[in-house]
Amino acid sequence: MQHHGATLDRTFFALSDPTRRSILERLAGGPATIGELAAPFGLTLNGVKKHVGILEEVDLVKTAKVGRSRECQLGPAELVDVARWIDSYRHALERRLERFGAYVEARTARDR
Amino acid sequence: MTHELRFERLIDATPEAVFDSFTDPGGQAAFYEVDEPGWIVRSECDLRIGGVWTVEFGPSEAELTRHRHVFEIIDRPRRLLLSSTETRLDGSNLDTELEFVFEEQGGETLVTMVHRGFPTAELRDEHRVGLPNAFAQLARVVSAGLQRPKAK
Repeated sequence: MQHHGATLDRTFFALSDPTRRSILERLAGGPATIGELAAPFGLTLNGVKKHVGILEEVDLVKTAKVGRSRECQLGPAELVDVARWIDSYRHALERRLERFGAYVEARTARDR
Repeated sequence: MTHELRFERLIDATPEAVFDSFTDPGGQAAFYEVDEPGWIVRSECDLRIGGVWTVEFGPSEAELTRHRHVFEIIDRPRRLLLSSTETRLDGSNLDTELEFVFEEQGGETLVTMVHRGFPTAELRDEHRVGLPNAFAQLARVVSAGLQRPKAK
């Protein structure tokens, strides 16, 4: 399967953490500052900054300085590449089961 | 919360024959084989609870993907459950779960394969608001995998 772009891998990595997914969920409801994100998760500001930085690298989040705070909101990334990857994965699995079925039937026919 | 990809295939053989084929080297190689010259499949299997089945496959030695499956449930000839780790070309890992159910159906065997654990599908289910285009695309992909049994 040819489906492993560096951005795709980084996106999977970014999405693999439950805290980062929760941050995206929170931001789906509207922009929030780093401090506002930190409170419900019991994280330090630096901890949230680290997670937001990982999400920002793959455009799932964008940040901007607003007054003395850094405001975060959902970024412009669309997960089309990820969806394509899953699609190719699905086709590969389908083909595997088909080939395995053909193998068993050929073997069974020989034994009959 | 996870989502799953589900596949079915009716195979003209008994559940015992299908189960045994899946756990023998020939069947396991067939599962990963591709009709492509030079395609590599290397498989080693320790068939027991907690045992590891490792597979390396790809178009060349430089482009091998590695799957490491651990047998969680072995219920011959009805069911297999494996926890799986895919190690990709860049060394990153994807952890998923793979289940096979073998059911007798009119003298043949219906094999149901369920693949669980895509993090993006999880995201789609939990967070339907926001990133609407992405989620719509994911919904299309996943539902395409669920829409019909693939029978012989």
